[in-house]
Amino acid sequence: MKKRRFAGMLAVLTLAGAVLTGCSATSSTTSVQTKSSSPQGEKTSQVVNIYSDRHYETDKLLLEEFSKETGVKVNVIEGKSDELIERLAREGKDSQADLLVTADVGRLHRAKEQGLLQSAESDTLSKNVPENLKDKDNQWYGLTVRARVLVYAKDRVDPSQLSTYEDLTDPKWNKKILVRGSDSIYNQSLLASFIAVNGEEKAKAWAKGIVDNMARTPKGSDRDQAKAVVAGEGDVAIMNTYYYGLLLNSSDSEEVKVAKQLGVFFPNQTTTGTHINVSGAGVTASAKNKENAIKLVEFLSSEKAQKQFSEANFEYPANPAVEPSDLLKSWGTFKPQTINLTKLGENNKNAVQIFSQVGWK
Amino acid sequence: MVSYIVKIKGGVNLRSGSSIKRSFNLWGMLSAFFAALIILPNVDLFGNLFVQPNENWYHIKTYLLKDYITNTLVIIGFTGVFTVLVGSGLAWLISAYDFPGRKIINWALILPLTIPTYIGAYTYNGILNYTGVVQRLLRNVLEVQVSPKWLDIMNIQGAIFIFAVFLFPYVYTVTRAFLSNQSASLIENARLLGKNSLEIFCQVVLPISRGAILGGMTLVIFEVLNDYGVVSYFGVQTFSTAIFKAWFSMGDIDTAVKLSGVLMTIVISVLLLERGLRGRKKYSYTTSKVRPIVRTRLRGLKGFWAFFVSFMFLSLGFIIPVLQLLVWSTLTYKKVLNIAFLKLLGNSVVVALVAALIILGVAVIIANFSRLQENWVGKLFSKVTLLGYSIPGAVISMGVILFFVDFDRKLEWFYKALNPNSITLVLSSSVVMLIFAYSVRFLAVGYQSIEAGFEKVGKKFFEASRILGNGVTKTFFRVDLPMIKPAVISAFALTFVDIVKELPLTLILRPYNFNTLATKTYEYATDEMIHEAAIPALLIILVSIASVYLLNKLGEKEGI
Repeated sequence: MKKRRFAGMLAVLTLAGAVLTGCSATSSTTSVQTKSSSPQGEKTSQVVNIYSDRHYETDKLLLEEFSKETGVKVNVIEGKSDELIERLAREGKDSQADLLVTADVGRLHRAKEQGLLQSAESDTLSKNVPENLKDKDNQWYGLTVRARVLVYAKDRVDPSQLSTYEDLTDPKWNKKILVRGSDSIYNQSLLASFIAVNGEEKAKAWAKGIVDNMARTPKGSDRDQAKAVVAGEGDVAIMNTYYYGLLLNSSDSEEVKVAKQLGVFFPNQTTTGTHINVSGAGVTASAKNKENAIKLVEFLSSEKAQKQFSEANFEYPANPAVEPSDLLKSWGTFKPQTINLTKLGENNKNAVQIFSQVGWK
Repeated sequence: MVSYIVKIKGGVNLRSGSSIKRSFNLWGMLSAFFAALIILPNVDLFGNLFVQPNENWYHIKTYLLKDYITNTLVIIGFTGVFTVLVGSGLAWLISAYDFPGRKIINWALILPLTIPTYIGAYTYNGILNYTGVVQRLLRNVLEVQVSPKWLDIMNIQGAIFIFAVFLFPYVYTVTRAFLSNQSASLIENARLLGKNSLEIFCQVVLPISRGAILGGMTLVIFEVLNDYGVVSYFGVQTFSTAIFKAWFSMGDIDTAVKLSGVLMTIVISVLLLERGLRGRKKYSYTTSKVRPIVRTRLRGLKGFWAFFVSFMFLSLGFIIPVLQLLVWSTLTYKKVLNIAFLKLLGNSVVVALVAALIILGVAVIIANFSRLQENWVGKLFSKVTLLGYSIPGAVISMGVILFFVDFDRKLEWFYKALNPNSITLVLSSSVVMLIFAYSVRFLAVGYQSIEAGFEKVGKKFFEASRILGNGVTKTFFRVDLPMIKPAVISAFALTFVDIVKELPLTLILRPYNFNTLATKTYEYATDEMIHEAAIPALLIILVSIASVYLLNKLGEKEGI
């Protein structure tokens, strides 16, 4: 009797397996038709497959809208960018992914270096995305911009004391600086930009100087740095505008209170400009639906989508024709770094090594 | 069921019989097949171990490794000691004593496992940080400004605390399953001989349940070694920091794999050493009358203390964080909760159910084979089950992808024969790959539990049944399986809960548009939106509670 029950269980299992594989098989056959899209593109297929590490509600709404407008179905796998890139590499030419979207330009560059992206020419994109926010071979395009700024305790710091990132290494800030760990890609890109702007030696001296002035061992997220400033653990924190926007719009009134006690300062305005990083997208080398992928990037760089990124997700539009949202404007306008963002990717490895050499945890 | 089992003194050596080998083939073949399936995706990773190290490797070795290893050892050491003391102590308390609230606490103590440790870390920091409820109360109501350093949990002690309070149920569950109807006579004899409960705990319970305790602790240690979420959030650098630094920061997965290989080698040699030391000592049923311990009733103050201690650990590992999550969810449910969550819930439950059942089947087969085949083959298979658990999930996933892509390419002709338009990557773009990966990864969890169950039963009944002329398979279904049922149930609970909250594999191996509660939680948490993450996190916890509760009901019926 037991045996029969076991056999029954096995049968159920097999059935479940069959159903599951069956489901996925049918769902993949729907995307199969896409393969027949001819190079002439006389009949565009109706799917685009994305690997994305941007997992924001805004993105989802925009993708839905894209589907509605164009009739192209969007399939998404969200994950961490490094793992998505690795998956893409391992799937090779057979990968179903058409577009890689990441929240950091260094990763796009890494994908490009591994030969996972391809050039995508488009007049619309050339118009919508400025030169320094895209790859020189058009293998990726920046879509949204985030600035890495200083936030300070309004009650303790006079903004006139603040000037540049470099000034934060001054002894007057000893035990006053809060910043997260070196495993954060945002810090890596920040240092990579200094390598590009000031040279490796100065960049290293800067990192060393920050480590000496840190109020505590780096830990926590960007938001946690802001809270630590208000809690009095330090006076100035380095953080992304995006996270400050989130804090200010938190569902927790106490967090909003924290944000309101902080001031935002854009450093290096009279020198090299405030550090920026972009979220962006690149068409994969294995893309089976290249045209749809380009169409989607065009859509995301359009004024309508850019406006939404700015309003709902606290990111600066990459498209110069679009004004930042009122909230972003209230923090002031700023002069960004003008280096080509490819440099952030190129210098990433160097930056990581400098961090461990100077003991930035 | 056990009535016809004859107790045989001295046991009979059946291993030399040739008939047993023949009838054993099926179990051996299946075990070998499963072992191969576990090893194959990792072959590529092993290959990396012998590749010449590159500059990243030397960079990590020069600047980072020493601190990282020290931190790792400190965390493992303290977490190990805490979880063993708390887990086995509570298991003993629950198994041997009766006190107010015991019935609920008995099963509720597994609940801390339902909270992913990184969510636990975010939650505790959310409670204790500047905007958290504690400081807020002090500041706004009592108007006391305390130094934030006093309430700071983001450090190595904090990490140990998080691991200890959320992971001790691994030790608790395995040990309780072992004690539940084992050893009644030993403990009662010890009581009759006038030993007090501390003496019984140290001199009887700990020695006889050593296997189970160490099995549970092994799971805890692997869980800690693989963790990246907690330690990176708390800014504590461990060995896994080095692995992910190599991969994520330097883009060098080869070095990452090499590092996890080193880690795995160390862990497995320690385990083998431990097994070797334990080798000869085996404790199993001495009588066919399997029955629970007669529990001593604790009254008055003693009863209160027993309740208080177990309730305290339940609070730290479950009630406090869940209350906090509930409060957060009231802030955000309007924005976050919608009908799409039903789909997430369904996905989470179905994949976890299927994978947990597969794991149970495989674990039972390999465990049965390896205990009856007391030679190096059996030991090897038993060790192979640990493989998936000892490598970080993210690293495993890469091996699995390569394995499936290869497999799909080899089967392309077949897919095309079925459907000329078929894509190449059929299996690797389906949920099959994910379920396979879960099975490889969490086999160890189910296996430890089932192995402990078999260990408890011993081989006397098996041998008796064989002497009475039953085959290995028949014996398994009529004798062994009913006896290890408590272990099977707790194995299922542990694996199911683990899979529902699993993240790295789910994130990277899922098919298009496939989301689960865990990926949704991650989506918010990684974006520093812990309040929004509360809703999916609570649903994970709810699903897990439901499964644990149902299994407990089932267990009660079976008389655990």
